[in-house]
Amino acid sequence: MRNAFSEALVRLAKADPNVLLLTGDHGYALFDEFRKACPAQYINAGIAEQNMVGMAAGLARTGFRPIVYGLSAFIPVRVVEQIKLDVAHDKLPVIFIGDGAGFVYSHLGTSHQSTEDIACTRAIPDLSVYSPADRFEVTACMDAAYQSKSSVYLRMGKSDRGDVHAAIPKQKIGALLQARPANAADIAFIATGSMVRTALDIATASYPDAGVWSAPFIKPIDSAQVAAVCRRARTVVVLEEHSVLGGLGSVIAEISAEFAPVRILRIGVRDRFSHHCGTYEYLLNEHALDRAAIEQRIRDFLAAT
Amino acid sequence: MTVPTPNFDAKVLRKTVLEMAYSGATVHIGCAFSIIEILAVLYRNHLRYPTNDPRAAGRDYLVLSKGHGVMAQYACMRELGWLDDEAFTKYFANGSDLKGLSDSRIPGLEVTSGSLGHGFSVGVGMAMGAKLHGTDQKTYAIVGDGEINEGPIWEGALFAAHHGLKNFMVIVDENGFQAMGSTEDVLKLGSIQAKFESFGFEAVTIDGHDETAIDSAIARLWKSDTGLPKALIARTVKGKGVPFMENNNIWHYTRLNPDTYRQALSAVAGEST
Repeated sequence: MRNAFSEALVRLAKADPNVLLLTGDHGYALFDEFRKACPAQYINAGIAEQNMVGMAAGLARTGFRPIVYGLSAFIPVRVVEQIKLDVAHDKLPVIFIGDGAGFVYSHLGTSHQSTEDIACTRAIPDLSVYSPADRFEVTACMDAAYQSKSSVYLRMGKSDRGDVHAAIPKQKIGALLQARPANAADIAFIATGSMVRTALDIATASYPDAGVWSAPFIKPIDSAQVAAVCRRARTVVVLEEHSVLGGLGSVIAEISAEFAPVRILRIGVRDRFSHHCGTYEYLLNEHALDRAAIEQRIRDFLAAT
Repeated sequence: MTVPTPNFDAKVLRKTVLEMAYSGATVHIGCAFSIIEILAVLYRNHLRYPTNDPRAAGRDYLVLSKGHGVMAQYACMRELGWLDDEAFTKYFANGSDLKGLSDSRIPGLEVTSGSLGHGFSVGVGMAMGAKLHGTDQKTYAIVGDGEINEGPIWEGALFAAHHGLKNFMVIVDENGFQAMGSTEDVLKLGSIQAKFESFGFEAVTIDGHDETAIDSAIARLWKSDTGLPKALIARTVKGKGVPFMENNNIWHYTRLNPDTYRQALSAVAGEST
C-alpha cells in the first residue's frame, strides 16, 4: 500500500510540475523516492500543521496542486478548521493524506491513534473523504483525488493487510467495490480500509454466500448502490477501524434508514480511547476488533434478530 | 474593468464605513477605522491590479487576515468600482453577498477570515507560490495585534523567514485592543517589532495613521535588499476618526443609533486631512 502511494505521488508529480508535496516533518523513508525524483516539488513545512494547511491553500490559489501529508491524528484532526475555512470553502485542489489511521501506532497511545478522522471530515461541505483498503484502491483513490481538482481527504490505515482486489478498480467515484460476490445471502458486509480484509476472511470462512463490498469512497458515496445492497440483505454488517460514531457505519445506517431499512450491525471503535499499549493485533483485541471478537458479535447479533 | 476615479481620502472611506455599519446595524466599526490609512496607502500607491480586475492573474495579493476590519476594505473596493452602491445600502439585508467578515468568494477579498490566524498562513503560501512561479507579485497580510496571539502566525513566520520570502509583508494593526480588553491586559505582546525581528523579519514601526510614514516605510522595506520577509508594525488607534469611539473598546461590539450615527458622521467630516 505504501509503495503504491509513493508510486502514485512520484507519477503525478512527474507528470505535473505544479504538484507539490508538503509534509509536517513526517514520512522519512516514505518520501525517499519522491525526493530523489522531484526534489523541487518537496516542502518540509516543519512541525507546524496549521500553517502548512493554510499555506497549501495559498499555494493552490497560485496554481499549485498541493498534496499535504501527515499522520491522520494531525492531518486532518488537528487542522479541521484550516481544512474547512482555507481549503474546502473554495473547493481548492488540495489533497490531504492522513497516514497511520486507526491503531497503526498501537504502541504510542492516544496522541497518535486516529479513530475520529472520518467523523471530523465528512460533515465539511465540498470535502471528499476516501479510505482505500489495498494498494489497488490507493492508486485508484490517488488518481481520483488528483482528477477531481477539488478538496479531498485520503485516509491511509494499516497498510500490510494484503490485497482485497486483483487489479486497480475502474468504477467511478462513490461506488462500492465488490470484493467478494454475493449469492443472495441473508447477510452482506460493507467495510472500509483495513477492515475489508477482515470482512473477507470472515465471509469466506463463515458466510460463503455473503457479498463483501469495500467502500473506498466514504463521501461522496453512491447511495442508490448502498440502498440496493441493503434491500437485498436481511442483515448488513459494517466494519471499520474508526469510531462507530460518524464513520462508515453511520453513513450506511443513514442511507438505509432513509431508503432501505434493514438491520445494521456497526462494528468499529465503541466510543472509547485505548487503555493499554501493545502490538496492532493486541489493540484490535482490546477494542474487540480482532477477527474472533467480530465473529462472536455477528453470531450474537444474528441470534438476537 | 473601467475605473472610476477612486478617492482613497480617509474621510471618504470612514464615511462609507459609517453608512454601511448604520444601514446594516453592524459591529466592528473600531476594527475597520484603525486600518483605514493603511488600506488607503496600499490601494493608492502599492497594490497592482492589472486592468483593475480584482482577480487578474499577476496581481499583488492583499490578505485581510483580521477579517473583522473588512468594512474598511469594502470602502476601498467601492472606490475602485468593484462594489456597487446597492452592496452598501443593502448591507446585511437577507440574501446580500457581503458578510460581516472577509469572504474569499467576493472578488477583491483573497481569504475567508475572521477565525484569526488563518490569513497569515494563506498569504505565506501565496508568497511561496509567487516565488516558485518566479513572478514579481507581492503579498501583504494585515493582521491585528490581538490576532497574533494565535500560534499559526508564528509557525508561518518561521516558514517565511526560513524560505526567504522577501515578497511577503505582514502589516500588524497595533491598536492595542482585542475583543475583551487591551492587549496589555489580556496577553502581553511586548515589542512586536522585536518579536518579528527575532523570527528573521526586517521590521519597522510607524504611526499607522500617518499616510506619508506608511507609504515611505512600505517603499523602503521593498527596496531593501536584505532578502528577508517584511513586517510593518502600524501603531494605530482603534476607532480612529470619531473621538467617542477612539480607544473605547465597546465599539468592537456596539451598533450605531440615529444619534451616534449623526455624531460620528460629523466627527468624520470634520476630520483634518
